[in-house]
Amino acid sequence: MEQVKEKKATNSAFSSLVTDRLGGETITLCYQCGTCASSCPVAKITPDFNPREVIKLSLLGAEEEVLSGDSIWLCCSCYNCQERCPQKIEIADVIYALRNIAFEKGYIPNIYYQFASAIINDGRIVKVSKFAENKRPTLGLPPLQPTGVEPLRKILSATGFSKMQKKKEESS
Amino acid sequence: MTSYALFLGCTIPARQPNYELSARKTLTKLGIELVDLANMTCCAPPPVQSIDFETSLAIAAYNICLAEEADLNLLTLCSGCFESLAMTNAMLKADEELKAKINKILSQAGKEFQGSKEVKHFLQVLIDDVGLERLKQSVSKPLSSLKVAAFYGCHALRPSELLKLDDPERPRILENLIETLGAESVEYRNKLKCCGGLLRGSSDELALELAREKLANTSKADADCIATLCPFCFVALDIGQIQVRAKFNENYDIPVLHYSELLALALGIDPKELALQTHKIKIDRVLNKIFLQQS
Amino acid sequence: MNEVKVGVFLADSGKQLSKILDFEAIIEYVKNVSNVVFVARGNEFWQGEGLRTIVDTVKDGKINRVVVAGTLPKLSEVKIAQAIENAGLNPYLMEFIDLKDHCAWPHRETPSEATEKAKAMLLGAIERSKLLEPLEKLEFPALKSTLVIGGGIAGMQTAVDLADLGFEVNLVEKAPFLGGLAARAGRFFPTDDCAICIQSPASDVKTITHTSRKCVYRSGFSEIPKLDILTNSKIVAVEGVSGNYKVTIEKKPRYVNEKCVRCDLCTTVCPIEVPDEYNAKLKTRNAIYMDIPNVHPPVYVIDDIVCKFHECARCVEVCPTKAIELDQKSEQITLTVGSIVVATGFEEFDSSVIKEYHYGDYPDVITNLELARMIDGFGPTGGVIIRPSDCKPAKKIVFIQCVGSRDRRYKPYCSSICCMISLKHATLIKSAYPDADISVCYIDVRTTGREHEYYYERAREMGIKFVKGRPTEISRDPETNRLIVDVEDALLHRFLELDADLVVLAPAMVPAEGTKELAEILGIELDEDGFFKEYNAKLRPTETKLRGMYLCGGATFPKDAPTTSLQAHSAAVKAAKFLTAGKIVKDQKTAVVNEEYCGDCEFCPVTCPYGAITLVPTTEDHFVAKISDLLCEGCGICVGTCPLNAIELRHSRPSQMRAQMEALMSINGTSKPLVLALCCSECGHAAVDSSGMAMMQYPANVRIMKVPCTGILQIHQFLEAFKAGAQGVMIVGCKSDGCHYEVGVQKAEKKVKLAKLLLKEYGIAPERLEMFNMVFIEGDKFAEAARMMTERLAKLGSLQLMEGSQEGEVN
Repeated sequence: MEQVKEKKATNSAFSSLVTDRLGGETITLCYQCGTCASSCPVAKITPDFNPREVIKLSLLGAEEEVLSGDSIWLCCSCYNCQERCPQKIEIADVIYALRNIAFEKGYIPNIYYQFASAIINDGRIVKVSKFAENKRPTLGLPPLQPTGVEPLRKILSATGFSKMQKKKEESS
Repeated sequence: MTSYALFLGCTIPARQPNYELSARKTLTKLGIELVDLANMTCCAPPPVQSIDFETSLAIAAYNICLAEEADLNLLTLCSGCFESLAMTNAMLKADEELKAKINKILSQAGKEFQGSKEVKHFLQVLIDDVGLERLKQSVSKPLSSLKVAAFYGCHALRPSELLKLDDPERPRILENLIETLGAESVEYRNKLKCCGGLLRGSSDELALELAREKLANTSKADADCIATLCPFCFVALDIGQIQVRAKFNENYDIPVLHYSELLALALGIDPKELALQTHKIKIDRVLNKIFLQQS
Repeated sequence: MNEVKVGVFLADSGKQLSKILDFEAIIEYVKNVSNVVFVARGNEFWQGEGLRTIVDTVKDGKINRVVVAGTLPKLSEVKIAQAIENAGLNPYLMEFIDLKDHCAWPHRETPSEATEKAKAMLLGAIERSKLLEPLEKLEFPALKSTLVIGGGIAGMQTAVDLADLGFEVNLVEKAPFLGGLAARAGRFFPTDDCAICIQSPASDVKTITHTSRKCVYRSGFSEIPKLDILTNSKIVAVEGVSGNYKVTIEKKPRYVNEKCVRCDLCTTVCPIEVPDEYNAKLKTRNAIYMDIPNVHPPVYVIDDIVCKFHECARCVEVCPTKAIELDQKSEQITLTVGSIVVATGFEEFDSSVIKEYHYGDYPDVITNLELARMIDGFGPTGGVIIRPSDCKPAKKIVFIQCVGSRDRRYKPYCSSICCMISLKHATLIKSAYPDADISVCYIDVRTTGREHEYYYERAREMGIKFVKGRPTEISRDPETNRLIVDVEDALLHRFLELDADLVVLAPAMVPAEGTKELAEILGIELDEDGFFKEYNAKLRPTETKLRGMYLCGGATFPKDAPTTSLQAHSAAVKAAKFLTAGKIVKDQKTAVVNEEYCGDCEFCPVTCPYGAITLVPTTEDHFVAKISDLLCEGCGICVGTCPLNAIELRHSRPSQMRAQMEALMSINGTSKPLVLALCCSECGHAAVDSSGMAMMQYPANVRIMKVPCTGILQIHQFLEAFKAGAQGVMIVGCKSDGCHYEVGVQKAEKKVKLAKLLLKEYGIAPERLEMFNMVFIEGDKFAEAARMMTERLAKLGSLQLMEGSQEGEVN
C-alpha cells in the first residue's frame, strides 16, 4: 500500500493560510467525525462554540465568519479534543493558529490587549503588586527575583509582537 | 541534594502565597533544594499563545535557557506553566527546524536553547526524587478519614504526547500521592473534565457553568475537599465557588486546597505558616478532620 | 562451425516504409557490413512467405544469425523464434528492430535523416547479433502437490479447487478445528446465510444432485481424494525453491483420536473450567472441548495448557470408545510441495487500547465478533442477546463504527467490511427482536458492494437509528450499571447521551496472529499495515514476488466472503498453472556471476528483488554469490549493482550492449547532436513505441537502445556512450514508484544523479545526461523529451572529447 501524501487544500486560500501557520498544519486531515465536539466541555454548554464546526467552516473558506466571530475565543484550551482525535489533528493548536490569524487581521477581544500590554510592560501577564511583594518577608517567603523585562522586550521585538500590539492600539 | 530551578510564574507570587509557601516548605523538608533564578518572566501561557504561538515558544524557551545556563532542571508549581514550558521543551527538542527558528529570535536576547534540561511538575519531583515510600515515612500527621477529590486539571496531563506526565485517560499519580498521605481518594463523575478556569475574564458565564459542574460532581461523591495542582483551577473553584453560589444559589461549601498544602499539613508543618487565610472558602472542615482526629 | 553468418530481413509493410526510407540505399549499406551474408526484403516476416524465407535460409545453413526489421515486435519475436527453432537454429540468436515505429513514422518529415538512422539501427542490431550466444530452455522439477496454509473459507475453497484439478493438497490449520473466522461469525452478508458455506467439490464425491455449495461438514470436504487435512498444526520451516519446497510442520497432539463419538461425556467429568475465548468468554469450557460441531474434524481436543493429564484422567475413564490418548506427542511432519498458498486471514484489533471506550473494563462493551457468537444459535447464549454483566436481555444496543480503523493513532486504513457487519447484526437482531432499540454511530456508512446498499435501506426501514458522530467516550452510571455513550450528532448539531444495555464496537481488522513469523518463514513481504503483500494490487492480487507462493483471502487485506471466494479460486489457478506440466520451463536470460571476480561484498543478495541470489561459501573465509536460474527474473539490477562488474546478464551482456551502442552512434546523417536513449524494456521502450505508433514527430538524431531494466546500467556505461559519440544521453524508465522490477528505476535515478556530479568534475555539462520517467500512454512525453534534449544539446554546443582513451578533461 502506498503512502498517502498530505496535500494542502488548493481550492481554499483560507485553509492554506491555516496550514501555513505554526500549530495549524493538521487542519486539512479532518473528516468531521465529531469526536472533538463531544469531548469539548464548552461545546456541551453553549451552542456558540463547536470545534468540529470551526474546522468545517475554516476548511470551506469562511474566513470572515471564523476570524471575526466570538467562537474561537471560547475554547478553554483543555486539549481533550486533541487527545481523542482519531486523525491526530492538533485541534487546540489549530484554534490558537486561528486566533493568531485573527489577531493579525485585527479581530480580537479587548481583554487580550490588556494581556499583551502587561507582557510588554511588566514581563508578566499578572503583575505582582508592590503590596504582594512587600508582604513576602512577613509570610516567610524569600525576596522575589527581578523579572527579565529587558530580554523579554528584545524577544518581543524580534517576533514582531510589540509591533502587533502597537497596530491594535493605533487602530482602536 | 537534588536541586531544581523553581519556576514561579505570575499568579502564584501575585495571589497565591499559600501555594508557594506550602511548596517551598514541603520540598525543603523532603530534601529538595530550590534555586530562585533571576530574570525569569511569564511562562507565556494561553493568552500569549493566542496572540502569537511563535512568541510564546520563544518566551518559554528563554526561561528554559536560564535553567540550562544554571545547569538545573526546572520545577513548576502551576500546571499552566508546566504545560507551556514542557511542551516548548519537547517541541524544540524534536524539531530541528523549529529550534533553529526560535534560536534566531533568542539570539536577540543573547540566549540559545540547547535542549539539555528537563521541565518537571511538582508532582513528578515528588514521585521521581522523593518516592512514595520515603514520602510515606515522612508523614507525621496522616490525613486519615479525609476524603479528597483529586483534580488534575487539564494542563498537567494534556497534550499527553508532549507532556508525558501520566496516562491521560487513567492517571494515577495524584491519587497515589493522596493515598500516601493517609487520605482517601474518592472517585467522582467527569474527573478529568476542565474546570473552566481559563475562561474566567473572557467568558465568565461559561466559566461558572463548568466550575459549578465540577463542584456538584465532587460534592456528590462526598468529598471533604478538592485537591488542585493549578492556581487557575484553585481560583475557579475557590473564589469561583462564591460566584457560583451567588449566581446559581447553590452552596457547595467544599474547601479547595492545593496538593502541596495537604502535603504540608501531613508533614507536620504548622498551619499558621502556610498563609491559609488566602482561601476564600474556609478550610476549617479539613483542619478539624486532620487535627481533631489526632488527639 | 565458428563463422558468424548474419541474415537481415527487412519488412516494407505494404510498401509503406519505402515511401519514407530509401530501402535501396539501406540494403546496399547492409550488404557491405561484415559477416552479413544474406539480405531479404518483403512485406512482413512474421508469417506467410516472409516467414518461410527465413526458415528456408536457416535450414539451408546459409545463416546462423537472424536480424529482422519488422513490426508487431512481441508477436514477431515469438513467431519467428519458434520457427527458427523448428528449423534447427537456437531461437536466441535472433535480433529484432522496428523500423516503422522507431524510425519511419516518427521521422517521416525528415526522410533522409530517417534513412541514415535506419542504417545505424540495423548496424546496431547486426553488431549485437554477432555477439549473441545460444541459450537453452531451462527445466526445473515441479511437484504436483500443493500446500494451503489456513483452514478458513479461503483456504478450504482453494484446497477444493486444487484437489479438483488433480493435485495433492495439504491443508494446514493451526487451530484444532477448521472454519476460521467464518465458523465464529455465523452468518455472512450479503445473503445472511451460513458463513461456512463453501463451494462443493466436483471431484469424486458421488452425489445425485450437485448444488453449488454446501456447508463444510455436509460437503464431504474431508473425503476429497488427495486432500490431506492437518489441524492443530503450524508451519515451522520452509526450504527449497518453487516447484520443490520442503515444508516442516509441527503437529500438536490432540490427545483424542477418531474413535471419538462426540457424546460429550468427557466434558461432564472434566474438573477444569476456563473462560471460553472462542465464545468471547461469555461462557466457560473444559480442558477437553469442541468449539462447534459443524466443521472438521469431528473429534474433541484437549487444551494442554490447563489439563492435568494423568493427575486426573477422569475423561479417559468415562470415554465409551477409549478415544482419549493422554500420551500423544507432538509430531514433526515433512512435506514436499510444488507451490504454497497462504490463506491465514485476519482478526479483530484489540480495542482495549482505546481506553475511553472501556473495552475489557466494562463487560457490556463487546465487539462485533463477540456479538456474532451471541447471535449464533450454536453460541454461548443460544441466540439470545444479553448483557454480559448480569445476563439480562439487552434491549438497547449502540454500535460504534471505526474503532481503531481510519484512526491515525492505530490503524489508518478503512477495514472495508465493518459497516456491513454492523448492519448485518443490527438487522438480524431487529428481525428477531422488533422492540430492540438499536443505534449505529458512524463517521461514514460504506456499503459499496453488490446488494450492500439494500442492507442500509432495510436497516432504516426497520427503524434502526443512525447517528452521524464518533463517540468520545463510553461511561457507566455507577448506580444503574447502564452504559452511556457520549456522542455529538453532527447533522442535528446536538449532543446525545445514548443510554445502552450493550455497546458493540466495530473494531479494525488486523492481520492474524503469527503473520509476521510466517512471512519470515516463507520469505514473503508484508505491507506497511502488516498484511501479506501482493505482487500488484490491480492485476495480480493473489500472487507474490516469489513464483510458487500465492495469497488469498483476508491475509492480504480484510474482505468479504464473495471477494474471498474469488481470490481463493484465483490463487488455486495460479498455484496450479506451472505445476500441471510437472516441470517449470524458463528461458536462460538470467544473470551469471564470474566467481573469480566476486568479492563477496554482499551487495547483490540484498538488491535482488526476487531473492534469487545467495552467498555460498567456497573456502573458510570466502563466499561467492550464486544466482538461481529459477528465481532470476532477468532484470539485471544485480549487474548494475556489482561494484566489481562480476555479474553479467545473458543476452544483455556489457559487450553486446557496447557493440550496439557504438553502432548506433556511428552514423549521424543529421545536422543535430546525437542522443542515445537507453530505454527499459517495460514502460520506457513502450513509451517510445507509442510515440511512434501515434506518429509523434521527434528528431532522428535520437537513437533508441533497449535494456531489460534501467537498473542494469552502470555509470561507466553512460560515460561510454559519450565516448562512442553521443552528445547527450537519455535514461528512460518506468515511473519512480512503478518499476516493473520493483527497484530498478530508483537505482538508475540515483546513478544519474551521481553521474551528473562526475560529469561536472570532468568538465562536461551535467545537463547532457538526463533521467526520464514515463508510462506507455505517455508517448507524447517521450517525443517531447527527445525534442527537448536535442534543443538543449544544440544550445550547449558540440562536446569535444580529447583524443585517446581519456573521457574528457580530468581535473
